Amino acid sequence: MLDTAASPAPEASAGAARPLVEVRGLKMYFPIHTGLLRRHTGDVKAVDDVSFDILEGETLGLVGESGCGKSTCGRAVLRLYDITAGSIRLEGREIGQLSQEALRPLRPRMQMVFQDPQASLNPRMTVASIIGEPLVEHTSMSRAERLERIWELMDAVGLNRDFANRYPHEFSGGQRQRIGIARALALNPKFIVCDEPIAALDVSIQAQVVNLLEDLQEQLGLTYLFISHDLSMVRHIADRVAVMYLGRIVELAPRDDLYAEPLHPYAKALLSAVPEPDPKIARAARRIILKGDVPSPANPPKGCNFSTRCPRVMEICRRIDPALTEVAPGRQVACHLYTDASESAEETAPERGESNDTRQQGEEE
Amino acid sequence: MTEPAAPSAETLAPELATRPPRSQWRDVWDQFKKHRGALVGAVIFVSIFAAVFVGPLFYPHDAQYVPTGRDFIRLRDMRPVYVLLWDPGAKADWSHPLGTDNIGRDALARMMMGGQVSLTVGLAAMALSLLLGTFIGVLAGYFRRLDGPLMRLTDLFLALPLLPLLLVAVLLFREPLKAAFGVEGGIFVLIVTLVGITSWMQTARIVRGDVLALKEREFVLAARSIGTPSRRIVLRHILPNVLSPIMVSATLGIATAIITESALSFLGFGFPPDFPTWGRLLNDSVDRMTLYPERVLWPGLAISITVLAVNYIGDGLRDALDPRIRGR
Repeated sequence: MLDTAASPAPEASAGAARPLVEVRGLKMYFPIHTGLLRRHTGDVKAVDDVSFDILEGETLGLVGESGCGKSTCGRAVLRLYDITAGSIRLEGREIGQLSQEALRPLRPRMQMVFQDPQASLNPRMTVASIIGEPLVEHTSMSRAERLERIWELMDAVGLNRDFANRYPHEFSGGQRQRIGIARALALNPKFIVCDEPIAALDVSIQAQVVNLLEDLQEQLGLTYLFISHDLSMVRHIADRVAVMYLGRIVELAPRDDLYAEPLHPYAKALLSAVPEPDPKIARAARRIILKGDVPSPANPPKGCNFSTRCPRVMEICRRIDPALTEVAPGRQVACHLYTDASESAEETAPERGESNDTRQQGEEE
Repeated sequence: MTEPAAPSAETLAPELATRPPRSQWRDVWDQFKKHRGALVGAVIFVSIFAAVFVGPLFYPHDAQYVPTGRDFIRLRDMRPVYVLLWDPGAKADWSHPLGTDNIGRDALARMMMGGQVSLTVGLAAMALSLLLGTFIGVLAGYFRRLDGPLMRLTDLFLALPLLPLLLVAVLLFREPLKAAFGVEGGIFVLIVTLVGITSWMQTARIVRGDVLALKEREFVLAARSIGTPSRRIVLRHILPNVLSPIMVSATLGIATAIITESALSFLGFGFPPDFPTWGRLLNDSVDRMTLYPERVLWPGLAISITVLAVNYIGDGLRDALDPRIRGR
């Protein structure tokens, strides 16, 4: 608690819950080697200086178009990659630079549900051995105890116990995803990264899986990082939402605020793409269509990453990269539109900070 | 999934729910039995194996006995008994069903003794090359840092002229090994080792390719996210999935080993001349093939049938070990 209070980030204090996961300045670069000598000539900046907190028990949605670094970010947070720079704290413990061997005892605390349930299950293992693998690795249960636990987990995710002997190819997509979820739950984790868990599923199954995830969150007090490009689904499940563009978070806000009024021009464009069920509103809605393509993450533009496509681009955007700053309580945006006239705005900024603090105090009392 | 005529669903359910997982090997065996080719192959292979190892105990003639004096003239160059069918005047007798060779040794006895050597050499050399090839292939495929050095090593071995290398190695190591393991034992160890370490390259390359593709699959990432160490990821997730190509190269490897051994024996660098192997029998008889076709036919047939049987067994095993095929 002391740590979080001392941490410089203001967003750490959006309520009484303490952050379970704190990510600061996370960078994940994949080196590019070219030429005859395979020299290191550049980096694909898949995740470039990303910071966020996930409070205990909440769901943070991470949205963005494909290729913007959402999945890489999720995997980097779990340290499935050796990150380039930055700090990741899980329950106050720094894991950013730990070796894979040192991470092993911490793995039970954090788990992952993968996008493609077909690919994430070993085709040669039975359901029982897939769900049991974490138990074999991290506990010293006897065979019978393990089987008991496997059955318990299968019950929890709604799989028939008799399926324990079957192989992944014998299941439907939704059932496979349930196996993946059961595996992630096996060790009672606190934090689960859901990497597009519904993207590969039938629409009719998506709701089932999402509801299952929500039920489990309620029962087990789980914390999710929910990565998705399905904006409606994120609206349904997430408490707060981070919008990513080209390796950076451009806006991080409570769900309702973001969906009601996105601030960042990219977030506006992205959310205008959400289908609207009411035809009247849909007809009235103005779809923002961005021009051009996403720049290569190996060679991002100077200044703001979005400056090449932004409908409201200003001269400053092409020079200075906007930092993610808090513009309203709990809302962070990385855009010069809100922090611009930066010199003159500096007077108002502390004011906001103060009001933020007083609001918190009010809440805490 | 063979339940006896189903009672009502309610009475069945609790019993099912508490049933522990079946052993995977039972499933494998069940599927293997369904593969007719594999079953026939297995039966043939086992019979050849039994005939070769158990047969000499019941067969009266010694494979290395050379008759002398008048017997030599009487017993040499006998034809198999079936020649009597179309040539009643042929020199054939039931006491030597497959005839004798040009110095009067019994052909069937030599076939059996040769089979012992050829089968052991084939299996042992195949096992060695498979072990080496899989080991190097998995290391090269899974650990990026080892990929370059190990694959260059593989290329180096592939580029070596095999036969001259074998000959030099035999010349260099024959005497010390003879001293250590006895005449036949020394040559056996030498040949198995030589064939093994000169034939692992194909397996290594195939396995490496498969491992490279497999390690990018999400289930390997999932295992990493669980905290499974690399060693167990390889054993639990990678190896079972590269089993098919390993099986195929294994079955082909037996054939290669038998044939390489015969080539070595032919050149006089394998087992001693009076020591029969299938390859040697074949090679010894080539120059008189027109007069005595049976001397080429039988060893050749034995090699082919063994290889074919092993191939079918491998085929069946591969299918049986793959749960996606097993269900059908």
